[in-house]
Formats: sequence, C-alpha cells, structure tokens
Amino acid sequence: MATIDPLEITALARIMDELDYYQLLHVKPEASASEIRQAFHASSRHYHPDANRQLAADLREQCGRISKRITEAYCVLRDTRRRKAYDAKRSEGTSLRIQLAEARQAHSTQQNSERRGATAQGRQYHAKAETELKTGNVAAAIRHLQMALTFEANNVGFKAMLDELRARLKAAS
Amino acid sequence: MAEIAIGIDLGTSNTCVAMMQNGELKVLPNAFDERTSASVVHFREDGTVEVGNSAKAKVIHAPAHTICSAKRLIGRFYFSEEVKKAQAICAYEIVEAPNHGVRIQIRDEEFSLPEISAMVLREMKQIAERQTGEKVTKAVITVPAYFNDNQRQATKDAGRIAGLEVLRILNEPTAAALAYGFGMGLNQRVAVYDLGGGTFDISVLEIGKDVFEVLATCGDTFLGGDDFDDRILDLLADDFVGRYKINPRNDPYAFEKLKLASENAKKQLSIDDEVLIEIPSVLIGEDGQPMGLSRKLTRAEFGMLVQDLILRTFKVCDEALQQSDLTVRDLDGVILVGGPTRLPMIREAVTHYFQREPRTDVDPDEVVAMGAAIHAASLVGEVQDSMLLDVTPLDLRIGVAGGLAEPVIERNTPVPIEQTRTFTTVADYQESVQIRVYQGDHRLAEDNTMLGQFEFSGFKKGPRSDVRIDVTFEIDADGIVSVTASDQATGEQASTTISLSSGLDNDQIERMIEQDVAGRVVTADAPPAPPTSKLAAPAAKAVAPPRSALPSGPAAVLAPTRPAPAQPSVKPSAVIPVTPLVPVAQDDLDDFDDLEVDGELEILEEELEQLTQTRPQAPVAAPAPAPAQAEIDLDTVAVSEVDEDGFFDRSGNDLSAPDPDQKIG
Repeated sequence: MATIDPLEITALARIMDELDYYQLLHVKPEASASEIRQAFHASSRHYHPDANRQLAADLREQCGRISKRITEAYCVLRDTRRRKAYDAKRSEGTSLRIQLAEARQAHSTQQNSERRGATAQGRQYHAKAETELKTGNVAAAIRHLQMALTFEANNVGFKAMLDELRARLKAAS
Repeated sequence: MAEIAIGIDLGTSNTCVAMMQNGELKVLPNAFDERTSASVVHFREDGTVEVGNSAKAKVIHAPAHTICSAKRLIGRFYFSEEVKKAQAICAYEIVEAPNHGVRIQIRDEEFSLPEISAMVLREMKQIAERQTGEKVTKAVITVPAYFNDNQRQATKDAGRIAGLEVLRILNEPTAAALAYGFGMGLNQRVAVYDLGGGTFDISVLEIGKDVFEVLATCGDTFLGGDDFDDRILDLLADDFVGRYKINPRNDPYAFEKLKLASENAKKQLSIDDEVLIEIPSVLIGEDGQPMGLSRKLTRAEFGMLVQDLILRTFKVCDEALQQSDLTVRDLDGVILVGGPTRLPMIREAVTHYFQREPRTDVDPDEVVAMGAAIHAASLVGEVQDSMLLDVTPLDLRIGVAGGLAEPVIERNTPVPIEQTRTFTTVADYQESVQIRVYQGDHRLAEDNTMLGQFEFSGFKKGPRSDVRIDVTFEIDADGIVSVTASDQATGEQASTTISLSSGLDNDQIERMIEQDVAGRVVTADAPPAPPTSKLAAPAAKAVAPPRSALPSGPAAVLAPTRPAPAQPSVKPSAVIPVTPLVPVAQDDLDDFDDLEVDGELEILEEELEQLTQTRPQAPVAAPAPAPAQAEIDLDTVAVSEVDEDGFFDRSGNDLSAPDPDQKIG
C-alpha cells in the first residue's frame, strides 16, 4: 500500500483551496502533457480512495476530497483548450479553480462570437446575411454584414465573410 | 492472512467468480466443475431457488419461473425500450412497481431485479465458500463500462442483498486490462474489445507500470451475443413459418427451444465451418404429429446475418479512439473479452480494424472475473496494489428551464470527481426548485436517462438575481452519482445519493437482507452421481419461508417520474411553485450556443414552431436592446434560430422571429 504520512494528508486537505492546479499536482506551469499525466498518477497513488482503505474514516474523507480535486486539476490541465482557459483565468488572479464545463465553453464561446457576432445586433444582422445567402442573394447579404459591422467594427469573422462575399459578387458580375 | 475477497463477473448470460489466494489467481468452479455458471435463476415449486446451468436447463419446461438475462433489465425503468423488448420475448411476467420500477412476478410473489441478481451473486458467494471452506463477505463486482448510475447502484444493491460488502463496482474492460497487465510492468496503450451476452464496451487504456488509466470508454448497452442468437432464431422461425404456417414465436416453449438451438449453433460455428440445426419437435401439431426443423447453417451464411452487428461495434470503437485522441496505430495491443469474441468472424474483423492480432491468451469468459479478483485482493491488501483510474461513461446533466439538460460533467472524465455549479430561480421569490439529474448525450432532458430528482427549498428567497443555489455533483470511484443542493446564505442543504430505477430505498434493501431473500438459493455441493438422474437434491435444504410481496411502502425518498414530456417553453408569468433551474455565473446565453443537438433538430423545430405561435412577433426593424445577461430568464426566451450546424440561439430579443414570410429589408 502506498502509505503516506497522515499529517501530510490533513495539511494538504487544509490548504488545498489556496493551491492552483499546478501546485496541487506538483508540476511547473510549463509542464508537458506527459509530465502532467505522470504527476496525476503519482498523486492518485497517494490519494485515490482505493489506496486508502486502511486509513481512519476522517483521513479517508480528506483523501477523498483531495482525490477529487486532483482529478479536476488533471482534467483541466490535460486538455489544451481547458488549460488555456485556465491559464488565462489564473493570470487574472480571479480564481484558482475553473469549472470543467466553463473551461470547455470559454474557448468555443470566443470562437462562436467571432463567427456569429458578440452583440445582439451583430448576431441579428449576421443571421440575416446567412438567410439571404441561402436564397443566393449575395448583395443583400453584404448589406446585412455591413450593418453587422457597424455594431462590431472589429469582428474578424464578419470582415472575412464580407471580403469573401464581395469577391464572389465581383466574380459573378 | 488477509481477508478473503472475491471477484465476480456478473454477466448477462454467464457469471464467473475468481479469487487470489496465496499469490495464486484462480477461477472457482461450481460443484459440477464448470468454471462459469449461467446467470439464470429458477424458482422451484417449494420456494427455493436454483442458479446456474441446471437452472438454465429448466427454461424449456418452466419458462415462466426461470429468469434469464436479468442484467438487461436491472436499473431500468418500466417504460424503457429494453423492458418492452423483454416483455415481448420473455415467458416470465414483468410487472410495474411503484416509481416506474420493474418487478418480476413468480407465482404470487414479486421480485425486484436486484433481488434476482442477488441470487446469482449468492450462488457465487457459496461456490467460493465451498472452495475455500471459509466465510466470504467481500467482493468486487464488475459491470459493463457503459452502465449508467441506476444500473451501477442496482448492481451494488444486489451485492448487499446477497450478503456481500461490495468493495468496488469495477468496469469490465478495466478489469480485463488489469488481468492482462497486472504485475508485468507494462508501458502500453491497449484497447479492450468487450462483446458480452448483452452489451458491447470498448475501453482504451494507458498502462504505466502498475497504473491503469482509462483514456476513454464507449459502449452500446443494446448489443451483445444474444443479438447474434436472435439472428439465427429469426432465420429458424421464418423457416418454420414457411413450412408449417404457424409462428413458433408465439409459443414460449417452442421459442425457448429455438433460442437454445440458435445459441448452440452459434457456439458450434466458432469451431466448425458448418452446423446442422435439428429440432425434432418444435411444436406438436393438431394431429399429434411433431413439427420439426432441420437446417444447415454455414459460417459464411452466419457472417452475413450478423455483419451489421459487427460493424456497429466498430462505430463505437471509432468513437472511443477519437475521444482518447488516438488512432489504431498508437495502440500496442488489443484484448478480447466475452464469449462472442470466440467467433472467428469477430476475431477476423477485430484484426482487420485494429491492424493487429488480438491477444487471446486468457480465456475471454474468465478474464474479467480474474481482473476483479486481482483488484479485490489489492483492496484488502493481499497483493501489492495497482491503481485503476477509471472514467465516467456518460455526460452527467442537470435539468434547466425549457426542458433542457445542461452537462456538468462530461463523459470520459476521470472519477472520482466533484463539480459545483451555481443556479438561480426562474421567478422572483420562488419557494422551491426541483433539481433533476440526468445521464446521457442529449440536450433535451427527456431524451436522457433520469437519475433522480429532489426538491430544494432551503435557500434564501428573494428576487431571482439575488438567489444563489449551489448544486454539487459527485461521481465516486464506483461511478455512482450523488447530488447536493445548498445555499451558502442559509447554510441549508438537501442531498441525495441518486438511486431510482432499482426502485429500492435503503429500508427496502435492509428488509430484503433481513428476510434473507438470497438465502433461498440452494447451491449444489456435489455433482449428480448418475447422469440419467435429475439434479441431485441439495444436501443443505434451507427452505426459505415464502415471503409476502414487498411492501410498497411510502414513496422512496426520491419520487422518480417518467421524464416529463416536453414542457411548453413559454410559461405564464404567474407564480410557478416548482420550476427548473436557471444557470447563472456563466457567460450565460452563449453557453447555450455551443451545445450540440445531435439528431434532435426535428424536435427542436417543432418546439420552435410552437414558440413562434405563442410569442408576439417583434417588429423587425427595431430590435429591442439586449437584456442584461444575468437577468435573462431561459424560460421565457424563444428558440429563434436553428442553423445548419445544429447550433441554435436561445435568446430573447437579439434575433427576429424566424418567420419565413418576413422579408428583410
């Protein structure tokens, strides 16, 4: 059995909330994927419920909490997209944790807002442009996109689409 | 000496028990020296129960009192497809219990599925006790990796009812990988292709010395060796109809004979290229003459019959590889598990798909029980420990406004894990919320399996922007889910270990243990002497008193309900006593853009139509300002767009209604 000093378990359970995921797994912030995996395996060896059946109930409970947090850290850090979202949040200093669902969405939300608009009006006109495109009315689609860009002047996705449509219109005429 | 702990592979068709003793791993045979026993439970006239291959032989003569394939029903709701299917083909009576549970009626008694499985487990316990001469009380029990929380919980309950302390509910493919890699110091990535009697699982693992980490697991709980038998059965039944113009499927006796013949033919085709299926008497005609059947079946012909089933397994394999970010070339080995993987056509297909010969050096019928035994021994300190790091097979979701289910913990997330999400109410000064928990891949709540629901009212009431309800989801190392709702402001909390479709609450289980339901099992402890005699009467004749039907009792802590039909998404603004939740503290609305709606567009479009009818049309030219994000009530928002990607916007005012007649200037 992987024996671990009870003192260490209790201490870690107490300060867990003040550690970021890297500190929790004992890896450097620039650690590679395989280093993170190895660290997860090493930590699990100590704190996974299977490794602690022989401990007293209160220590098992502490190990359980640590084990769940370690898994969370691993889930975030092993996934490039989640890790990126977490690193951003961590550097802002707002939180040491991130929800798995949130970390997954942070990335796609950004992508989505580029593609379909970040403001209500931007999205509305972009949607209209898409509708016109389906019926083949490129000129109308361009008008809607221009409107969308008045709300989101810096939307790269809109600009790219506008350029493409203009090129298409030019080619057609 | 360390405590004795056994490993049990509780299969759909067969069950196997193994243990590790003095460093030696062995499968424990029953009194007839069979290393696996049929997972069949036969209720005798005197109220006692027999389990195993002799019970299976009773199927033909007493199909109504002989329960096969209980695993297909365990942890299911009465209204589920699987239960309907079983009702159509099983001769025993399946009845509905309170809370949409399933019971099996035998004579004047009703039994829950965990009780039936408990009888099979008790048989294994007794086999182990007979072999070791010692009391056995601890076990690791395996389940298909793709089992949901209800099925896992029900299996664990079965263990308790059988008189076993369940040390761990272990996934079958993980157990198989352990049996292959234990103590070998491997550094490999392997796939476990597990085709059982009723389920298919594929798991991809990374083995690093003594750590077995599951990277991904996928499965199909509706696909197994039984389906292969059914293909032969259909062929035979159609032949019979063609010849005699009578459908043998309508007669339980004839049906069982065809089923057994089909199973035997399938097994024989693993050895021979061709079999002759002969049933001298399927039915007796009105003239008293037997109506028999004789048919040749070649391996190639059988291959054609089941080709689509085999292909279906590889679709699941594709998914598992994709989820683990690997290709077949990244794998170092493929392990076959389950009786049907003996079929040459499956071995060939697996070799072709994975581009390598699968490993077959451990018996595919025993490898899972052996893995379970290793883990059991490791948990009681009999052997050096190996770490199993497993994953949850299904998305865990919470029901939110609009009949949707939002994922909280995605499938293939390692366990144990815990996540806390914060929600608010739909209405101001709402009295209580209903927390509904689901498992499944679907965005619409009703398309997932409901695990449980409970009401929480211990939060600080107020305008909805002030209400904060923390909901904590936990999946433990057994893959079993528990959910707690709490409010930091009041310090109150409500929680439940979700367990529904076993239909059993703790009191009921305690009662079953007290009544020793599993004690009805009479395990043969000597093989019958002359082969001609009927089964030897067991020495220990522990005749259990017939038990009165289970008290239905007050409703379980959780009132399970049939997943509600799609609720109208636009609710009256009047007081809503109990309503779903609204997530907060997310980039709210945009969250919803990103959830996929696999194959659900039709439903959504219907919903969309409904919505556009009930919602006043916004003037196109003057879009209302976007509402402040945290304030948006998902319940009163319309589905405004479903785009070609299957994404859709659920937002209030930011898009005009999708009225096809509206021309946009």
